[in-house]
Amino acid sequence: MKKPLVAVTLAAAAVPMLIGVAALPRPGDPTAPAHTHVAAHYIEAGARETGADNRVTAVLLNYRAFDTFGEVLVIFAALAAVIAVRSPATPGGRADDMPGPGPGLPISPVVAFIIRLTAPFIALFGAFVIFRGHVSPGGGFQGGVILGALLVLLSLVLGRGAERPLLAVPLARWLQAAAPLAFTGVGLLGLALTGALLGYPAEPERHALRELMMITLDVGIGIGGAMIILGLFLEMRGD
Amino acid sequence: MDDLWGNIDYAAFVGLFCIGLYVVVAKQNLIKKLLGLNIMETAVFAFIVTSGMVDGGTAPIIGPGATGPFASPLPHALIVTGIVVAVSITALALSLIVEIYRQCGTLEADELKGAE
Repeated sequence: MKKPLVAVTLAAAAVPMLIGVAALPRPGDPTAPAHTHVAAHYIEAGARETGADNRVTAVLLNYRAFDTFGEVLVIFAALAAVIAVRSPATPGGRADDMPGPGPGLPISPVVAFIIRLTAPFIALFGAFVIFRGHVSPGGGFQGGVILGALLVLLSLVLGRGAERPLLAVPLARWLQAAAPLAFTGVGLLGLALTGALLGYPAEPERHALRELMMITLDVGIGIGGAMIILGLFLEMRGD
Repeated sequence: MDDLWGNIDYAAFVGLFCIGLYVVVAKQNLIKKLLGLNIMETAVFAFIVTSGMVDGGTAPIIGPGATGPFASPLPHALIVTGIVVAVSITALALSLIVEIYRQCGTLEADELKGAE
């Protein structure tokens, strides 16, 4: 693209945005509309209505669970699309004259040792972030990313290639779909209990069940997210 | 202009967005274009999260004994969704770029115009 055209494009994008942000309320203003409508209700009534101390989790898994359902479907669809693009069965075939990724440099023994040494702690941290996500900072996505990073690290050290995958491929496929499956299961359970898809029972005697449903969603998101990150990594690497 | 100075945080995100936009439109390398897209996404995420900030506020984790004011939880939840979608876009774009390189042997957009 020509340089003047680039400058015009940037100006056309920047000037309206600068005019727009100049008219916004000051960041941090407690009377801004961002703090006075639904957000105030979420903060005030969240504990009673959802049982989640962490209001971000309350919004994600309860108030706006449909959003999150769509989101886990998006990342699952992204993995499916990556597998489709990278699959050798793509029409046109993979050019055979292009060498695939070689084995690369061997991992240094220091790095391998450190990864093995820290792996249990990373796994514990990831599980903690997932299971305590509704009462403390964290949640399914955050813990899932931690676990996914751990799986990527471990597959670097223990990488066994496409012939001997760490998990059987059908099992891995089901685990990659864990988040949509958990949402479907909990959503249908909510439908049976309350008459609304992804509804949560509100009676005080059923609060344990409500908590269990939220933890199921968090665990599903965490495991599904970790497996999807690992799957993306392996597909990119060419396994 | 006075208001813009008060909203200098937001103006900084506009600047970050424009850096990303510049990379997307001016660079020819597809990987660089993808990096530019990610910079633009980061600017949008930072902008929306900042709008949920409140003076002296803490994280909206309201256990027993927590005292306000609390930041708005809604932008945070929206941005978690946005980050996941951004990861999906990046992964799919990278896999397409890898396939393009395999098929065409180049990642430069201007060279790809002539390539079949």
